[in-house]
Amino acid sequence: MFASFSNIGKNTVLVSTIISTAVILIVFIVIGIQGLSALPGAGWSLFSSEWNPAMSQYGILSMIYGTASVTVVALLIAVPIGIFSAVLISEILPARYRIPVKSALEILAGIPSIIYGLIGVAVLSVFIGNLFELSTGRTLLAGGVILAIMILPIIITLTEDALHNVPSHYREAASGMGLYRHEVILDTILPIAKPDIIGGVLLGLGRAMGETMAMMLVIGSIDRIPDPIYNILVPGQTITSKLGREITESAFGSLHFNSMIFMGLLLMIAVFLVTIAAQRFIKPGGRLYE
Amino acid sequence: MRRFLFFSLLLILFLSCSRPDSIQIGGSTTVLPIITMAVEEYQIIYPDQAILVNSGGSGVAINQVGAGQLAIGMISRDLTLEEAERHPEVNFTKHVIGRDAVLPIVSAEIYNAGITSLSFEEMRKIFSGEIKNWSQLNGTDSEILVIDKERARGTRHVFMEAVMGNSEASAPAAGLVLGANNELQLAITQSRSAFSMLSFAWQNDDVKGLGIRTEEGDIIEPTEENIRDGRYPILRDIMLLTNGNPDEKAAQFIEFLLSEAGQEIVEKAGYVRIIQ
Repeated sequence: MFASFSNIGKNTVLVSTIISTAVILIVFIVIGIQGLSALPGAGWSLFSSEWNPAMSQYGILSMIYGTASVTVVALLIAVPIGIFSAVLISEILPARYRIPVKSALEILAGIPSIIYGLIGVAVLSVFIGNLFELSTGRTLLAGGVILAIMILPIIITLTEDALHNVPSHYREAASGMGLYRHEVILDTILPIAKPDIIGGVLLGLGRAMGETMAMMLVIGSIDRIPDPIYNILVPGQTITSKLGREITESAFGSLHFNSMIFMGLLLMIAVFLVTIAAQRFIKPGGRLYE
Repeated sequence: MRRFLFFSLLLILFLSCSRPDSIQIGGSTTVLPIITMAVEEYQIIYPDQAILVNSGGSGVAINQVGAGQLAIGMISRDLTLEEAERHPEVNFTKHVIGRDAVLPIVSAEIYNAGITSLSFEEMRKIFSGEIKNWSQLNGTDSEILVIDKERARGTRHVFMEAVMGNSEASAPAAGLVLGANNELQLAITQSRSAFSMLSFAWQNDDVKGLGIRTEEGDIIEPTEENIRDGRYPILRDIMLLTNGNPDEKAAQFIEFLLSEAGQEIVEKAGYVRIIQ
C-alpha cells in the first residue's frame, strides 16, 4: 500500500520534471531547426543591414544593433539608480522601513509590459520628442528608458538582497576601525556583495533583451542603423519588435519566416548565456564572507 | 465525491474552451470598425451565434484564411500573385461589402499652413527623400516626418500601387513604420509635421486627408461624392475573404453586411456603401 503510494509520488515528480525539461528542449530544437534553415537560403547576406522581403533581402544587423543599443542604454540608466536605491534601502534607511519600501518598489515588476508601452507612447516619447526637438520621440533612447524602468525592480531587489546578506560584523569591524559611513559602504559592503550584484544586473540584462510589447510601441520600427552609430535619438528596431510586428505576415516555412526565427534563435542563445553567467555569479557558497 | 466534482469541473472547463460553432474573423484594421459594429447588431438578431473578431492586417487575413485558421478574413486590398500561389489548394473568394479611398494624410498644422493637396510626383519625391522639408512645397519650415506602414498592410499596397506604381515599393525616407490604423492616427496626432497614408474613414481634426493634384492641375478633393463616382484616384474595395463558398453561418453573416442594415453600418463606419 505505502510502497505503491511512494511509487506514485516518485513517478509524479519524475514526469513533471521530464515535461518541463522537454519543453525547453523542444523549443530549442524547433527554433534551432527552423532558424538554421534560413542559412542555406540567405547565406551570409543575413548579416547585412538590408531587410526587404519583397526583394528577398533579409539582413538582420539593424535589429541586432537595435537590441544591443536599447539594452546598453537601459543598463546605463538602471544600474546606477538600482544600486544606489538598494544602498539606501539596505544601509541607510532604518530597518523598519526596509520591507515596506522594498515591496513598494517590487510592485513595479508586476506591471504588465503593455502598460509600460502605453505610457511610453503617450507620455515618454512625446516628452523626448519635445525635449530634443525631434520630429518623433519614438527613438532608441525612449526604448532604453522604458526598459530601464522595467528592469529597475529586478536590479534593486537582487542588489538589496546581496547587501543585506553581508554579515553585520563586517560593518561593525569597519566602523570600529574608524571608517566613515560612506567608506564602510563603498569599500567594505559593496566589494563583498559585488558577485551577487553582477548576477542581479545580468538577470536584468536578460529580461531587457527579451522585452517585446513595450518595445514594439515606442521604438519606431525602422530597420536602420543610425548614422553616426551612437545616435540614439532616431527610431530603430529590436529583434523582438521586428518579430512582434512581422511574424504573422510571413508564411510559415518561407525564407522570410525562417530568417525571423533565426533572429529569435540568436536572441534566445544570448539570453541563455546571460542567464547561465548570472547563475554562476549568484552561486551561494562562493562568497567571500561565508 | 469531491474528486468526481473536480473532474467534472475540469471537463466543463475543457469543453467550454472550444466553441466549434463560432465564426472566426480577422485581418485588416481598415475593415475592423465595420465588422465590430456589424457583429454587435448581428448578435441582437442572432444572439446564439458566437463571433470572434481579431485584427492584424490584410496580409495576416490572407495567410490565416489560407491556413484554415479563419472562416472569414477582412481584407482591404487584392491578393498578390505570390500570396495566391502560396496556397494552391485554397480557392480564395472575395466578397465586396463597401468602398474606401486611401488618402495622403498630414498633421493638422501642415494642412492649416496651406498644404491641402499634393501631386503623385511630389509624393514620390517625399518618399524617396528628395523633398525633406515642407518649405520646399511652400509650407512651414519643418522637416517632413514620413510615416510608413508595415509592408503587408492593405492600405500601403493600394497607396503604393497608385503613387509609386509598385505595391511593394520601398520608402527610403520613412522615419517611422507603424501598423494598425489607430496606431498611425495617434502618431500623426502627436506629430506636427507628419506625412502618411490612411483610409478615408480615419480622418479627424488632427489628421487631415489631402486632395490630389492631377497633371492638368485639377485638384480632386477627398469627398464622399468623389469616392462614390470613382473620381478620386486611389480607391479600393472593402472585402471579406473566404475559402470557396462560405459555410452556412459565415454566408449568413456576409449576407447581413450586404443587406440594408449592413450597408448602413458600412456608412456609419465612414466608408461608402456598395449597394444603393
